[in-house]
Amino acid sequence: MGNPYVIIGTGAAGMAAAERLRLLKPDATIQMLSIDEYSHSRCMLHKFLSGERDEEGLSFVPEDFFEKKQILWGKGQKVTGINPKQKRVLLEQGYLPYEKLLIATGSVYGIPPIPGFRTAANVFGFRDLSDAQKIKKVIQEQDVKHVFIVGSGLVGLDVAYALLERGIKVTIAEMAERVLPLQTDTTSAQAYQELFEKAGAVFKLGIGASDSVVNDQNQITAVKLSNGEEISCDFVVCAAGVRPNLAFLEGSGLKTERGIVVDEFMRTSDLDIYAAGDVTALSGIWPNAMDQGRIAAANMSGQQMKYTDIFCIKNTINFFGLTMLSVGEVEPKEEGSQIYKRECRNAYQKVIVRNGTVKGVQLQGDISHSGFWQYLIKNQIDISELLLKKSVFEIGYEDFYKLDDLGEYFYKNSTVSF
Amino acid sequence: MKRIMIDPSKCDGCKNCALACMESHRKDGKTGVETLDFKDPANEARNDIVNDGTGGYLPMFCRHCGVPQCAGSCMSGALYQDEKTRHVLYNEERCGACFMCVMNCPYGIPKPDVTKTKILKCDFCMDREEGPACVAACPKNAIYVEEV
Repeated sequence: MGNPYVIIGTGAAGMAAAERLRLLKPDATIQMLSIDEYSHSRCMLHKFLSGERDEEGLSFVPEDFFEKKQILWGKGQKVTGINPKQKRVLLEQGYLPYEKLLIATGSVYGIPPIPGFRTAANVFGFRDLSDAQKIKKVIQEQDVKHVFIVGSGLVGLDVAYALLERGIKVTIAEMAERVLPLQTDTTSAQAYQELFEKAGAVFKLGIGASDSVVNDQNQITAVKLSNGEEISCDFVVCAAGVRPNLAFLEGSGLKTERGIVVDEFMRTSDLDIYAAGDVTALSGIWPNAMDQGRIAAANMSGQQMKYTDIFCIKNTINFFGLTMLSVGEVEPKEEGSQIYKRECRNAYQKVIVRNGTVKGVQLQGDISHSGFWQYLIKNQIDISELLLKKSVFEIGYEDFYKLDDLGEYFYKNSTVSF
Repeated sequence: MKRIMIDPSKCDGCKNCALACMESHRKDGKTGVETLDFKDPANEARNDIVNDGTGGYLPMFCRHCGVPQCAGSCMSGALYQDEKTRHVLYNEERCGACFMCVMNCPYGIPKPDVTKTKILKCDFCMDREEGPACVAACPKNAIYVEEV
């Protein structure tokens, strides 16, 4: 028996990699390590906080995943470092030798440098189950009435949503002039803002937190805003961005920039070490993390597979039953763009076209049959001919409809990569 | 694996397939298409027929792709490829209603249901013996099951 294939991290990239590795290496020993006790879907943490689901309900693999695939899992194991020369993963106690290693340690949240925020005992992030557990514990043990949230991106609004569900009042500070600034424009942002306000949320847009009031128990009791306002609160949640989780690599010699540097085969600067998911800083979204994991696994098993799907400005949103698809530019980034808009009471649609290709799409309200947009944008498919015949809003997969011999669809007259 | 093959040239757009799909997945306990409430969005079909712009019809049916982009984007594990049948199945209980699959299907097939808490997607009528209801209902053989 050789040394095991080791995967650090049981998130989207790690789990997808483990599954693929087992498929390609039926007899290899696969050892996963995670600091978490549960393998969980971070995108569903708000459902845990709101009380809709328990820890088990956050799993995104079948219950018997590890047993059935014979994958070893060291839960609650903290990796303290890596020694590429000796091919060892260093643990708090001892080490683990590896044949090939995949680093899929995700990211960590940052706490903005606001006085008191980094030292007070009641400032939380919302990235891991442990973060959600801490917040839940406070809610269960104390009479929490009001929470201050920094950031109105998807994570910030997830937290807000969960707390509102529990009847807790929230104030959300956002540096940008609108909520969900990465996915929306003024119109689509307004719709979500109104829904949250109707549920009791208060937004402070275009305003940052600048100071805090800390009591003698090292608890922030109020946050001061840059406009001088003071908002009292029971605790603070920071949802103002994440960064790759790679502090443990210090001294390993692995090349890092913002994330771990990988080539197109997801290989790091060390021949036997691969990385996938948030830790590479290539993309912060679920489907891409899983793809990267699978591709890293293929290469670890000896295949040659390139990661080409670098497009990651895409998301779907669902708050209070208002669904939205946002892909590419939310406002035109260059001159000479055509902007098509359509709006009615419960729906908003916007398409940005430049030089005959789609650069950005926002669909709010009805997102049925909208999957093709991502591929038009990602592959820069020319739609200028189509636009002579029909409205941009009438374009659909049917315009590219073609079946292959096995009965699968593909795109006619276009090279489309997924 | 078994796949519903499509011959668009034979489709005359009658949508018997859609009716059969609605009937096969209805949850009100009744049977018979004549008792289907067409006004109830809960009865939505999982397949569709689209005009090709020149008088022909294009059946839009989940392909249960060999490399399913929907399942590849699922963050709850609700969408998965069945190990035996290779069909892409959906576990409603697990679904987190994030709708990444809606975005990721290159053909726009899965869609949010009316409650926006789950998706609607072909389940191959759970591999019932007599085959998928849509195929049985097609009078033109525009859709048929084949082992691929």
